Amino acid sequence: HSGVVKRRSKSQSYRRSIRTCFGVASGLGLTPALTARRMNTSRKAPRSQNITEKVKPEHLELLVKTEWQLSYVTPLYQFRHTQLKSYSRQLSAFIAAEKQEGLAVEVGGLQNTFKVSFSVLQGLAETSDDPETVLIQVQSKPMFARQEDPPKTVWCGWLSCINGNPEYLQSLPKDFTCLPLFCSKGAEDLSSLVKSWLQRTFDCCFGPLDINQTTLQWLAALWTNCHMETNIQNLKMIWTLPVLPPLQVTYTVDSDDVLDLWRSTRESSAEKSREAEDEVCIDFSEVTRFMQGLMSHFYRHFRVDLSAGELNQVSSALGSAKVNGKIKISSSRYLISIFSLLTECALLKMPI
Amino acid sequence: VDMATQLNLSDSDSSDLSDQSVFTRRSNRSLRIAEQERRKKEEEDPFVLALKYFSEVEAGTPVTGNDELENNLVRVEKVAFSRGLSPEAISVMLDFAMSLRMGNPCARVLKCLLPASVVPQEAVVRAIVWLTVRKLPISTQTLHFLVLVLFQCPFICHLLYLLTRKENGKPGFDIYFSGRQPYLLYLLSLYKVFCPELVTLSIPSRMKSGFKNHISPWKSALITVQKRNDMQVASSISLAFAVRDKTASRKRKHAHLELPSLSPVTITEPQAAQSSSRKLVPMQQIQSFAQLLQNMHRIELPAQMGSLLGSSLALQYLDCVQDESALLRLNFWLGYTLHEEFLFCSDGGANKNPEEALQFLNRLLSVQHFLQEGFNSSDAFMYKFLNVWDGSLLRPQILGLLSNIPVIPSSQIKTLLFDPLMQLFFTSSLFFKCGLIECLNHMLLKWLTWHSAYALEDDLDISLNSHTNITLSGFKDSVMELVHFVGRLASVGLQLEGCHSLLLSFILDFYETVCDTFLKFGLPLVVMPPPGVFYPAFFAADPVSVDRLAFIMHRWETIHLVQSKPWNWYLEYLFTQGFDGLKDFVQNSINQRVMMAGDGCDNVTQSQKLGSAPHIKQPLLS
Repeated sequence: HSGVVKRRSKSQSYRRSIRTCFGVASGLGLTPALTARRMNTSRKAPRSQNITEKVKPEHLELLVKTEWQLSYVTPLYQFRHTQLKSYSRQLSAFIAAEKQEGLAVEVGGLQNTFKVSFSVLQGLAETSDDPETVLIQVQSKPMFARQEDPPKTVWCGWLSCINGNPEYLQSLPKDFTCLPLFCSKGAEDLSSLVKSWLQRTFDCCFGPLDINQTTLQWLAALWTNCHMETNIQNLKMIWTLPVLPPLQVTYTVDSDDVLDLWRSTRESSAEKSREAEDEVCIDFSEVTRFMQGLMSHFYRHFRVDLSAGELNQVSSALGSAKVNGKIKISSSRYLISIFSLLTECALLKMPI
Repeated sequence: VDMATQLNLSDSDSSDLSDQSVFTRRSNRSLRIAEQERRKKEEEDPFVLALKYFSEVEAGTPVTGNDELENNLVRVEKVAFSRGLSPEAISVMLDFAMSLRMGNPCARVLKCLLPASVVPQEAVVRAIVWLTVRKLPISTQTLHFLVLVLFQCPFICHLLYLLTRKENGKPGFDIYFSGRQPYLLYLLSLYKVFCPELVTLSIPSRMKSGFKNHISPWKSALITVQKRNDMQVASSISLAFAVRDKTASRKRKHAHLELPSLSPVTITEPQAAQSSSRKLVPMQQIQSFAQLLQNMHRIELPAQMGSLLGSSLALQYLDCVQDESALLRLNFWLGYTLHEEFLFCSDGGANKNPEEALQFLNRLLSVQHFLQEGFNSSDAFMYKFLNVWDGSLLRPQILGLLSNIPVIPSSQIKTLLFDPLMQLFFTSSLFFKCGLIECLNHMLLKWLTWHSAYALEDDLDISLNSHTNITLSGFKDSVMELVHFVGRLASVGLQLEGCHSLLLSFILDFYETVCDTFLKFGLPLVVMPPPGVFYPAFFAADPVSVDRLAFIMHRWETIHLVQSKPWNWYLEYLFTQGFDGLKDFVQNSINQRVMMAGDGCDNVTQSQKLGSAPHIKQPLLS
């Protein structure tokens, strides 16, 4: 524990103020146009990656084809990847105690109700700054199960940081572990219990991570781009229009057609597209033009201007994303790139 | 009879002390008389008599229909609820209750055991002895009260610890209990506070609500008594039995605005716990400043730093110990709360619970006032919030937070501060304009104070990276920018509001502070009010504004060091400008009057008057 008491110096105060100012000024903006500037305006097109070598097949099975609820987490204080067993015991006791009123539950004691396991999900961390992904599973025996029945997983969640901004990660002191993306599936009350325990133990904060319009548009464009390698079958978008009664439009475009549109959008920015095949960069302006193309096509046919409404959901054979923070990845090939995008969104929510 | 007794006593005493001086004899006598009177009063005091009754009453005395018992009990209760019972009284009453001389200890007797100061150790020990020896069947409610009383004694936890410790310091008992026994849980949760490493139990957080109904009147009576006796309310009560008002917040999905509870770290690194020779004191056990100073070097910060915002002691500690991680944790929590409540809410979160938001911001403001500076996270939040603020939501609080922002480098000040404020200023009411000018006034004052507080530091050449090189001139630039910005705001604001005297008053306040930049704070800056401020003040209808302008002029005149006669230079400058500012002022005044009044003729007369008025006399320029 630090026993050194030194008076805060002027330079320190000034430096802190400068850092805050520059940090905010570079990321200022809450209107959609400015948000786009803050998020990466151009990103590499996702390549099909075979990550089955990096990630265990049973973990992959867990991750794909499941709809996850997203949250963002502020950095965890004194989280140790080496103490996972202890965390498992503590969280088991906590959940058991909260669930059963009036009883205190001994940590590490035998109780058959809930079993929690913390484990490391290796293979997802991309850069050297990324901490390893942590998987949390809660198992319990159903009410009328027989003794020999194995316990069922009733709740599952994972904390990760995939391709996190290295500047930000390096600026945090050593005691902090930045795992900003939290995905969970299972009963809501268990989710809140797990979050509450994590908050109390590691002094972090959880907040809902909505997938905003910009990100949904990015996903639409990126998935369309993936059609060059993997068949996405179709691109489905769900819009809501602010009329009374509210109108919901489901706009499904065949995969080949949407790829043609995408290609034509990209060709109009001729200077950029003559790059080496493995370094294809997509700029956000192309994404905007692509979306505008889709919307004007719809308008031509139905006389309804979709830009007046809000994009709620984008889905394809590769996965689906909803504005309320639900994501599903159907193919492990593009898992890393999609979750890199989501990690970026989570990092944008960091208060400082 | 009394007089006679006194005289007799004094006579007998005086014969014994015949060899002492007259003076001492007399003083001794008066002391003795006072002592006797006091003893007499005590003996006749109904409370003392009642206590005597309880200590002497025989076992087997009937309870029901016993008027004497009833009267004495009432007397004891009266004293207890008004000023609490002294340790001796507690001893007597507890002994009476536990020894079962008159049947089962009724809750009523235990309820009145409100200590005025402390519960003595011996009473506690005796009570426990009675408990174990007699094996009495005690009802749950009675046991609740008993537990509460016992826990008033500061030694109880130490006692528990001693009782349960084995030779090697490990706990010597296991708790096995079945069914619901809430009072034991409360005991355990309290024990866990003091010795967290010994209680490896996870105690459900919801059980505390069960106790509430029984004890809250008792608890409030206890607090009243202690407050009356000027004591700090025993933290042990508030720790374990704190009943937070969860009625509203439980319904809310996002309970951000609640400060987390001050709880100790639950997971200790195994190697650290054994190897450290000194025991760390958790922050929540620190009750007074003296304790803080004693334990300064071994205080353990709580599990959730956000809880520190509720305690001024903790903040003092944090301010001294510049623990970067601790501050960062606090900033994360604070930033998260502010962002979630005001920025990220899509459903108008702040509008849904304005009362809580108001209280939260007030607390934040008082913390910042206490620490004499803001937090990184609240500054970052402010820069973002100004872009979306409507100017009326929680205005005084937001303006208060704004004034606590530290010095902004001049390269950023326009985008971060000026642009959003300009937008707000010109589309707002008069009162907002006044409020904003006042806020910027405070901001300037705080910047200047900060500068002067650190003026001793010579090392001002701070380079963060290649393109920021902040020096004293950088600070001056920022101040200059701010003053010019306020000047621009003031000029146009006065035009818009028709030189309203309230606005003018706030603006002149600001310029008085600007005078101080050189005179009080030693910053070599001389900034004069712009024409748009000068003319409205000079030609103001109310004498107060003119007086204040004259005061400012006078203050500048006392500066002989900078420029010999700054007002001369200023007026020459006005002259060279062709009195554009004056023309603007006049034109604007005419327009205002035309807009406001309905009667045409008067306007014409007025405007004629104004048109002919401004002949700047020569003496002004000399």
